[in-house]
Amino acid sequence: MIDEEILQTTNTYLTFQLGDERFAVNVRNLLNILELIPITKVPKSQEFLKGVINLRGSVLGVIDIKIKFNFPVTEYTKETCILVLQVLMEDDLTEVAAIVDSVHDVLEVDEKEILPPLSVGIKFKSEFVTGVIKFNDKFVMVLDMDKMFSPDQLMEIQEDIATDA
Amino acid sequence: MDSFQKKFIEEATDLINNLEEAVLNLEKNSTNNELIAEVFRIMHSLKGGGGMFGFDDISNFTHNLETIYDEVRNGKLKVTDDLLSITFSSVDHLRSLLDPDALKNKQIKKNNDILLGRVDSVLKSTDSSETTQIEEQIEEQDKNTQQTIYIYFAPNESIMDNGTNPLYLIDELCSLGASIVFPRTSKVPMLSRFNSSKCYTAWEVFLVTEEHINSIHDVFIFVEDESELEISKIADFDTLSNEKFNKNIHSLYSEKNHFDPTVIKSLIDEVIEERKSKVVNVNEKLKIFTKENVISSIRVSSDKIDQLMNLVSELVTTQASLSLYVEENQVHALNQLSENIENITRQLRDTAFSISLIPIETMLTRFHRLIRDLSSEFSKNIDFITEGAETELDKTLIQGLTDPLMHIIRNSVDHGIEPEEDRIKSGKTPQGMIYLKAFYSGANVVIKIQDDGRGIDIDRVRQKAIEKELISSEAKYSDKEILDLIFIPGFSTAQKVTDVSGRGVGMDVVKRKIDEIRGTVDLESKENVGTTITIKLPLTLSIIDGLLVVIGDTKYVLPLNLVEKIYAYEHNEFENAFNNIIIVDGEQIPFYYLRDEFNISGKPLNVEQLVLVKYEEKRIGLVVDSVIGEYQAVLKPLGKLYKNHEIISGATILGDGTIALVLDTNKIINELSFKN
Repeated sequence: MIDEEILQTTNTYLTFQLGDERFAVNVRNLLNILELIPITKVPKSQEFLKGVINLRGSVLGVIDIKIKFNFPVTEYTKETCILVLQVLMEDDLTEVAAIVDSVHDVLEVDEKEILPPLSVGIKFKSEFVTGVIKFNDKFVMVLDMDKMFSPDQLMEIQEDIATDA
Repeated sequence: MDSFQKKFIEEATDLINNLEEAVLNLEKNSTNNELIAEVFRIMHSLKGGGGMFGFDDISNFTHNLETIYDEVRNGKLKVTDDLLSITFSSVDHLRSLLDPDALKNKQIKKNNDILLGRVDSVLKSTDSSETTQIEEQIEEQDKNTQQTIYIYFAPNESIMDNGTNPLYLIDELCSLGASIVFPRTSKVPMLSRFNSSKCYTAWEVFLVTEEHINSIHDVFIFVEDESELEISKIADFDTLSNEKFNKNIHSLYSEKNHFDPTVIKSLIDEVIEERKSKVVNVNEKLKIFTKENVISSIRVSSDKIDQLMNLVSELVTTQASLSLYVEENQVHALNQLSENIENITRQLRDTAFSISLIPIETMLTRFHRLIRDLSSEFSKNIDFITEGAETELDKTLIQGLTDPLMHIIRNSVDHGIEPEEDRIKSGKTPQGMIYLKAFYSGANVVIKIQDDGRGIDIDRVRQKAIEKELISSEAKYSDKEILDLIFIPGFSTAQKVTDVSGRGVGMDVVKRKIDEIRGTVDLESKENVGTTITIKLPLTLSIIDGLLVVIGDTKYVLPLNLVEKIYAYEHNEFENAFNNIIIVDGEQIPFYYLRDEFNISGKPLNVEQLVLVKYEEKRIGLVVDSVIGEYQAVLKPLGKLYKNHEIISGATILGDGTIALVLDTNKIINELSFKN
């Protein structure tokens, strides 16, 4: 029952910054926004898995979306944030944490205002983008978090890394 | 499916398990009336519950089976092998019927019809056989004897919570014959304290009926456990038609709260006096008295237990940070308080952990059944003896253990125990034996499965290993090493592939499954004497005694039971070591330098620690920066992101809120040795 409640689509989106692009995530996926807290590194794991954090007694895995999207890696600043997300992984609701450069506004967007994703001029993995919102003359890309954490996607990233190595 | 149906399935699964156990016992002791009654009772509950929650297939199927056991209960039928085998098949069939759509499956439907046919044939056989005459005689006797039965029924206050209306039960009782019902309202509280959802009334009923006293018990079959119930035959004739008795009973009611059995008896005696022509046998007084029921166990969903365990784990962690704070800040006033909380937390933790433990007995019934079925299939005569069934294990461990144990037992039946002729030839008892023993040993639970079969032919294992190019033919191996080859994937010595074992998945799967729950498997075998498999498991999965160490800026926990010794060495001793081997106490010890293996940058310390851990039969050194000390770690999973990350078995949260990673030393040494 809780699942349905949480996964109900709302019209509210949080926007955040990755490199020089702006993204949005539906707040149904969002549990919490934390400032950057110490992350315990887990040895012998892939690069985009940054480690684990302690969130009120639970251990959460942290991923760096920028690495996942092949953005150039930059130092963390005091703007850097951790988004605590609730996503469907292998049919279970799972809490994960994601590092983003900074968070911006919360937008109320009508579904009609969300445009289909652009197919050209995108320099990162676009299969997670479900739509585009036009806000203050800028494009904000809406990310599908459930898709991003689907086992297929994680596997694909592992393969990418394997071929890189 | 609504929640009531789910609840029913849960309950029905328990009932079917109980039924199986009862039938297994009945097989050993076929004349035990209590067991017969239990089998009947369970079937009755299944039938009733099934009907009530829309599982009509179960209800219909159980109906005739129940009738058979009713006949058995009343002595009109005997427990035969045929009946038992029908019952066993029915138990299996009932399990599949728990799926409401089961009968849409053709195979199940066919099975259903076949079984119903067999049940019918048993029922018919009672009609035609000679027992019919006796039956009729008994029936005849029953018919002519009206009897007066006294029933005292005091339901628990909470009886209406599960939807039972006690008045319906009284109605049902009254439908059995002439009756007088007296309500007892002495327990009804003052209006101010009256709770309309509770039942405060008790009833006393005098019933004149031709029915057997069992039918009266049947009325209360669902509420027996939740009420005080007394059913006794007070006279072998109709007392209610006697005016004097009637009058006396009514006058007694206004005077006293309860009918005094002795007074009633004297009343009846008076009636008997009156009816001098009749002979009454009061000796036949049947009295069943269920003491006011004290609920000794409750059913709790495992989710709630998991939640409780999580909270307790969090409390342990929070308490640790409190102790740390008190220690660092030297707050004397808090000292005592913090110690008290520590004490209570520990007790709470132990209690909570014991809640999630269940006795291994819960899975033994399946094994009894398995051995029974397999021994008839292979026509082997096998006795299954268990010891220590009360030994408790974490519920997740039990779940993980059932399959491997099942496999081991199958192996014992199929390969271990010889056919009867062979056993006699080699001077053994014709009956083979499989012995399962469980016991505590330190912080572990040990489960031993022993058979007195032909044992494992070491030469054949060696031969096979050479064939499969697992070992070279020249190499010398000890018998123990050869036996351990059985745990290697793809190794199965069964020459003939049978239904039971030898499908290529063998002991390697057993070992992997046991590994998954952090246990170890050991195998011993002597030709012609038998095979013993020993499984060693941790008591619980969620807490481990560990050694807290530091590598780089991260803390790690090593399982303490695997740590042998700790030595301090200068850094350059490791650097200069040839081939990663260091001499410790005159012994050559291979070691792994974890700073390098984990790719940790930064300058190493001048003095580092070598932790000697057990790995298989060997000792391996792991080099860490420093050792903090012993630590009781509450194990938390790393989550789905790290699902495939085997070398870390989990994380634990330290008193200061930081995370320490729990290293699986076996896995990491495995991985490192494979890599090098």
